Amino acid sequence: MSARDYFALFQIEPGFHIDMAALERAYHSLLAQFHPDRFAGKPQVEQRVAAQLCADINSGFRTLSNEVARAEYVLKRAGVDLAQAEREGVGTEFLMMQITLRERLEGIDSGDPSQRQALMSEVEKHYSASRDAFASAAEEARFEIAARRWQEMCYLSKLRDAAPPRAA
Amino acid sequence: MALLQISEPGEPTTAPESRQIALGIDLGTTNSLVAHFDGTDIHVLQDETGRAALPSVVYYGAEETAVGFAAEAFSGSEPANTVASAKRLLGRGREEFSDDPYLTLTPEGVLAFATAAGEKTPVEVSSAILTALKCRAERQLSGAIAGAVITVPAYFDDAQRQATRQAAALSGIKVLRLLNEPTAAAVAYGLDADSEEASTLAVYDLGGGTFDISILRMREGLFEVLATGGDSALGGDDFDRAITDFWLTELELAQPSVVQRRSLLGLARRVKEMLSAQQTASMDCHELGLSCEQLSLSRESLDNLVSGLIDRTLQACEAALADARLESVDRVVLVGGSTRMPRVREAVAACFGREPLCTLDPDQVVAMGAAKQADVLVGNRGEGEALLLDVIPLSLGLETYGGLVEKVIERNSTIPVARAQEFTTARDGQTGLVVHVLQGERERVEDCRSLARFELTGIPPMVAGAARIEVTFRVDADGILEVAAVEQLTGARSEVVVKPAFGLDEIQITEMLKASYEFATEDMTARQLAEARVEGEGLLAGLQSAIAQDGDLLSADEVQQLEAGMRALAEVLVADDPQVIREMTDDLGRASEAFAARRMDRSIQSALTGVSLDALEDNKAE
Repeated sequence: MSARDYFALFQIEPGFHIDMAALERAYHSLLAQFHPDRFAGKPQVEQRVAAQLCADINSGFRTLSNEVARAEYVLKRAGVDLAQAEREGVGTEFLMMQITLRERLEGIDSGDPSQRQALMSEVEKHYSASRDAFASAAEEARFEIAARRWQEMCYLSKLRDAAPPRAA
Repeated sequence: MALLQISEPGEPTTAPESRQIALGIDLGTTNSLVAHFDGTDIHVLQDETGRAALPSVVYYGAEETAVGFAAEAFSGSEPANTVASAKRLLGRGREEFSDDPYLTLTPEGVLAFATAAGEKTPVEVSSAILTALKCRAERQLSGAIAGAVITVPAYFDDAQRQATRQAAALSGIKVLRLLNEPTAAAVAYGLDADSEEASTLAVYDLGGGTFDISILRMREGLFEVLATGGDSALGGDDFDRAITDFWLTELELAQPSVVQRRSLLGLARRVKEMLSAQQTASMDCHELGLSCEQLSLSRESLDNLVSGLIDRTLQACEAALADARLESVDRVVLVGGSTRMPRVREAVAACFGREPLCTLDPDQVVAMGAAKQADVLVGNRGEGEALLLDVIPLSLGLETYGGLVEKVIERNSTIPVARAQEFTTARDGQTGLVVHVLQGERERVEDCRSLARFELTGIPPMVAGAARIEVTFRVDADGILEVAAVEQLTGARSEVVVKPAFGLDEIQITEMLKASYEFATEDMTARQLAEARVEGEGLLAGLQSAIAQDGDLLSADEVQQLEAGMRALAEVLVADDPQVIREMTDDLGRASEAFAARRMDRSIQSALTGVSLDALEDNKAE
């Protein structure tokens, strides 16, 4: 919808590794200046343009501040065909591992929080590995590999979120 | 909508020197309040007899209408004509229609109260309350109200927020912003200002008839609603009932008369309030024809009577914490009159492991925060003022094949926000598509709330899955949604501003405004003309200084075109036709949109390097 480059918008160096503090600073100062509340008494045309700009700022921040979304954005920006990458999928080996993890998660005894904790730290470890592999592949412009690692990140982060919340 | 700054025709519009009058309004289920920040202090406005709270009750008799205490007086004699707690039904559709004997459906299928004065929708009832508060403010602040911040519960969905706005429009109130009630309470305590580091906050709101718990995270003016919970049928009234039942048991009075029961409830409330400050309390009751002259209660027995009710609120707090995935919070704020009870404070402190903030009047804290924010929004304070950002409380999505909901905007997205998603057709040769907009977290359509349904037509016949339809959701700073669908090949387009089927459309509101007593005496055309001129003059002044400042962003051709448009608008501004002024203003606005966008892009640079762009403002003010 918007052709605005998010890295340029926040004036941070393009790439997967970003300075999160700089991103947050830029996000807040942009919002502080362009939020529609700042245009309450201004002509409607300025209100409209500001609202659209703010929507871009918010979407941009949401995209760049989340690792999986940022990885996807890095790929899109490099012109990678994500639909094609998704059709190619991840390797069988990864798929099997992912299924095993999911089955173990479902079989967890909810009365024993340590079981869940152990599994989660294992998921976290796999996720970090895929993320780091993504980062170096993207840096070397090996986008086919990067796209595969990105999909692994998607699977693993979903697994992380699917974990039932801590017992109340 | 333009601010109502009325200047003499022909006189140049200048930035007003005096403070703009802005209000904070807490439109509550049981009571409503209005507050005003005068630059130094926040004043909660009182009625002639010194009462701040206006009962949210409206009486619609055959002869007269009354609001507040005057309306409450009819609740015994004419219950059908006395509408209370209309907020519960605000923005609700026919699915909420119950067997309540006082409720009805209008011919248009809108939920309404059947009264001697006709069918009254919850929007109209809320508007009557808002009008009463607005009149109170106009009398006491002697001036036109520039606008108001109205508070809503954090869990209010799009339909309920829309309904609140409609009620305000019906009362002729310009809504500066709808603010979440817990956020307003945090603002009243100044918690928005001192939050460099992210911190978490629980707002425990125990009112007369409802209990709400909200868990927020805040950081530099950004308020994020992490979780909400509560019980819409639990509050101080239940405490009064518990005390009354206790007395009835003691007196062995199984069948009290209606009058006895109501009088006892009143005494129970007074005793409960006295027990917030003392250990025992008693009330004279010899007029009630009971077997005793006095009723008394100790704080200890009160605590025992209500401990089950308080436990229910604590369970909701635990659930909200778990929902927010938090172990504890950094601060706790108390809202609602029932939080004056020492037992409630102790229980909350124990539950969250810290002493709650309670230095401000818990009945007034929400209105106070709203007043503070209204003052900022109306422009009485500098640009450096902290910004209050809100997030949408519930995800927004679309119905897809098989009755499933595809989320387009996730809950907790900071607003304003816009997001587009591509969809396609399910059948070969399909030329139309129904866009069904839903709100909620669940996966199935029937578990979410339906907001709107509209149709995109003119899709060229293709095989299933070949069409590309981009659906864009836009949510503005108030959390109000606009949805557009565009077929990418042909550009066929359809859009809707979500106006759920609970209430009134623009035309109806205008009609009702015209019909209402308050506006009957006012010349609508003069009012519209003044509004149109303010908007038109504002655009002209803005464009003049913009061209002076950033004219280099325009080609010579573009400058000429803009200037021609400006001359045309200046010509019609002196004429007396608001319609023409409005059209020309809109035309020029559209024509200058690209220029405005380029200027903002330029200012992004300076925003990030810390250079203030207010040079432009200074030029204007000169």
